[in-house]
Amino acid sequence: MNLARVRGTVVASRRADKVDGAKWLLVEDCDQKGAGRGEYLVALDMVGADRGQLVLLAQGSSCRWTYRTDDRPMDTLVVAIVEEIDQAGTMVYRQE
Amino acid sequence: MVLARVKGTVVSTHKPDSLAGLRLLLLEKVDAVSLKGKGDYVVGIDSVGANAGEIVFYVTGSSARMTDATKGKPSDATIIAIVDVIEKDGVVTYDAAAGGFGKAAEGGGTSG
Repeated sequence: MNLARVRGTVVASRRADKVDGAKWLLVEDCDQKGAGRGEYLVALDMVGADRGQLVLLAQGSSCRWTYRTDDRPMDTLVVAIVEEIDQAGTMVYRQE
Repeated sequence: MVLARVKGTVVSTHKPDSLAGLRLLLLEKVDAVSLKGKGDYVVGIDSVGANAGEIVFYVTGSSARMTDATKGKPSDATIIAIVDVIEKDGVVTYDAAAGGFGKAAEGGGTSG
């Protein structure tokens, strides 16, 4: 799973995803310390993530292994909000 | 899901019967902030009725077969939504209702 930062939202009314109440987040790919890489994706929010939070993305066919996304055309989900990252004994990220 | 702009259509008559009647669209990946094209193109199957100039997002891999239009068909890039609004850090970077030009999207080049 990749780390990403929630940067904003994407609104789309004409859709074929068949996900009820879908909320789309604009997320930026991040390194292990939470620094953005300038690469953005649209992700379906499963956890109520807010702008600025560091999150975990599930990508690919694994995205369909939730009740809401079973058999849905999804390839990027926000599945967790990150609180802390420990790298070799050093806390490199802590949620504010 | 990846953001892209519809830049045109792709025509092919020599293809599997299962793809007959499906629209193949030429997509250029765009930067989510500037909405400028990255010069990186893919061909996607349309499941929502997207038109040239519109910002869309598409799914890749096996998920591309999960729309009604592509179920059981050999697609690995399917457009699943036409974008109305993109908001980043509280600023609207793209608004389709305003002609596609959000504050940061100037020069994004919505044509047609």
